[in-house]
Formats: sequence, structure tokens, C-alpha cells
Amino acid sequence: MQSQARSGRMEAVAPHPLAELLECPPATGNLLNGATVPIDFVAGDVLFNQSAISRGLYVVISGRLLRRTERMHAHLLLGPVRAGELVELAAVLGDGCHTYTLTAQSSGSALLLPIQALSLAFQQYPPLRMHLLEELAREVSRAYNACCMTRATKVRRHGPDALGE
Amino acid sequence: MTDFRSAGFIAARSKMTENPCLASRPCALYFKLHSGKTMAAFHSHHPPEDCVNCEHRHLRMFCNLTPEALQDYDGIGIMMSHARGAKLFSEGDPARNVFIICFGQVKISSTSRDGKTMILKIAGPGDVMGLSAVLANVPHEVTAEAIEPCQVKTVRKQEFVDFLGRHGIASMHAAQSLSGEYLTVFHDAKRLALSGSAAGRLARLLLDWGRTAANGKPEIRFTMALTHEEIANMAGTSRETVTRLLNQFRRDQWITIKGSSLTIVKPDQLERLTA
Repeated sequence: MQSQARSGRMEAVAPHPLAELLECPPATGNLLNGATVPIDFVAGDVLFNQSAISRGLYVVISGRLLRRTERMHAHLLLGPVRAGELVELAAVLGDGCHTYTLTAQSSGSALLLPIQALSLAFQQYPPLRMHLLEELAREVSRAYNACCMTRATKVRRHGPDALGE
Repeated sequence: MTDFRSAGFIAARSKMTENPCLASRPCALYFKLHSGKTMAAFHSHHPPEDCVNCEHRHLRMFCNLTPEALQDYDGIGIMMSHARGAKLFSEGDPARNVFIICFGQVKISSTSRDGKTMILKIAGPGDVMGLSAVLANVPHEVTAEAIEPCQVKTVRKQEFVDFLGRHGIASMHAAQSLSGEYLTVFHDAKRLALSGSAAGRLARLLLDWGRTAANGKPEIRFTMALTHEEIANMAGTSRETVTRLLNQFRRDQWITIKGSSLTIVKPDQLERLTA
């Protein structure tokens, strides 16, 4: 019963399509398009490190990426990032620091929307901020669910030798 | 929910009369007495009756708004007092309101798949509760329960969303609040998953609380509002282990405990345990 409720909740907070999230008038769209930085990566590349200052919002176009958080010699895998996902809204809208490390598992590409351009876009078109705020709220909701899973599961701890990465 | 006229208020009022300045959380509440005077008259740091005149506003993340936004913010929602143990909302409830803590502490917990209650964090003044559920348009993911008398500004969902739409600074603060919530959840998962021993997890918890309360001051001291059972719940261990470890830390003179006040004397030793 409870797991059914949880899975229903996960569906309700599924990420919304990118086109819907970044929908804005042509002038603001052009501003964002003009500022976008394309990024190509290969397996093993680190797009950003945990606690590093965020450069902006990442949009994954193709390839496999993995989120990983670490402390001292231990790490915790937070799951993959799929194509079409917005990455690190919390850092962009919040304190500007990355929550986790994002590592490429295969070749692929992503787009970076720089923070400065996003700030300008928010001023030009305030509903854009609300759309992203709502998406961040869904992400927080998903994190709560994931946290409950972590709590409920006996977590295997890895030493540095067991990382295999 | 309770209000100033509820039984909770009366109970809390009598407690306040005995001790108007509650340990490290002075002036947790203000009350109208029968004479018409407020409890605030006993203390200089009393919370005002509105947000515009709140002397603590600049210290709070969300309420530190521009004069225009603040005037608007003051006009929305209602200020409510809650007695210790009062539930502000429960997991699975429809998210109809956003709650901003003015004073006091609130325990945020969730239920695991096997029905165990897990305390995720202790929310304090300036924290916004229920925001993720309101903006994501889903039921509350967690339960919020006052662990001491507290004062909370309660704003209806639509009223709050409209307010964010009117003021860019408010939506920025809301984003920061959500981002903070996000970090807290990760932090919690990390604490549990990455600290190898129960001693390490408890040490991490004490250091987190201490550093938050110290706010940059050299003395790391805080008030333990939770029971050993609840601390055990947060550290992912048993009540007996928490009691044993706290005694051990005290014997080693890494911490001192006076009543509900805990001081971390040797943070470096605790830090070593978390490695």
C-alpha cells in the first residue's frame, strides 16, 4: 500500500519535458540560445565536481552520465542522468555550488546555459524562473523519496579499492 | 493546528511565565496576557506582531525581502502558534499551505517502506516548510511536528505562488530554500551511507548541529531538543548506542552536557571519527 503510494508520488514528480520548462518568448529564447555553450565528453570525463562553483545549468543531449557524491575515501552513487534532463537546478537557483560530481560513462554531448544568461532571462521573463522553481520542487520531492529508499536499504560501503572507477 | 487561544497556547504560556527566556532560544513565543500586556515586555528580543517590524528578519533567509515585497508578504498568510508536539502537517496530506518558521524548532520526519519513522532534519527559524510539495503539486512528502513551542507564518498555496510570481526576490529566496532542502536530503543520505560506524554518524550529527548553532562563533554549543531515541533514528543506530556513545564522548571530555545544552569541546576528535 505504502509502496504503491510512493510509486504514485514518484510519477507525480517525474521531470517535465525540457521544451515545456524552457518555454519562453523569442527574445528570451534567443538570449539563451546565443549564450549556450556546447560540451562534448568522453567516458571518464568529469563535467563538474561536488562543491565546485556552478557555471550554469546543464542539459544532457546524448551519452550516459553518473551522479556521485563522496566524502573522504567513500562514495555513494546517486544514479544516472538521462538525455533531455536538466542537471543541477539546485546549484543554479540556490547557493551556486554543486551537490555532487557528474562523470561521463560514455561519449556524448551536453549544453551549458551560463548562470549570467539565465539571470538575464529570469528578469526578461519571470515565468521562466517559476517553471524552473517548480521543476526544482519536483527534484526535491524525488530526492525525499530516494532518501527514504537509502534509509530503508542496507547501504554497502565502498573503500577506495572497491571503487573500480 | 493550534492558535493563540488553544490549549497548547495556554500550556506553553504557563511554561513561558516560569522561564520567559528559554535556554538558547530566547523569546520563542510572544503572548497576550490577560492584562493586555505581552510576554515580550519581559524581554528585549521579542518578535513583533508583523513581519515589517520583525527585528530578526535580516537574519532569516526567506523573509529578508525588499521593502515592497515585505509589505506584500506581511499582508498574506496568518501567524500561528503551535505547542510542543503539534503536527503542522503529515506525510501524505494534501499540500495546501506553506509554513515559514518565525521562532521555535520543528522535526521533519518521513516513514520508510517498513513503517519506521525517520527524522530527516530539525527545521528552525527562517526555514520554509511544505514548499516542495506545494510547488510540485503533490501531497506532503514529510511530517512536520513542533518539538518546542513555535510561531509559524502559514500562507495558503495559491496566495504564496502568486506572491512568488509578483516578486523576483521572493522567488529567488524560495529557490534558495528549495536548494537548501535538496542539500539537506543529500546530506542526510550521505551521513547515513558514508559514515562507517555508529560513532562516526553520531559525531557527524553533533558537529552539524553544533556548527549550525554556533554560526561561526568559536564555541560550538547547542540545545538538544531530541530524545536519545530520536537522535538514534537520525544517526541510523539504536537508542542504547546513542546513550553509550554520548557517555563515552563525555568521559573522553570531547563534549560536555549540562541539562539539554551540549558543548563540543574537541571537534577535531569528533571529526576524526567521521573519517
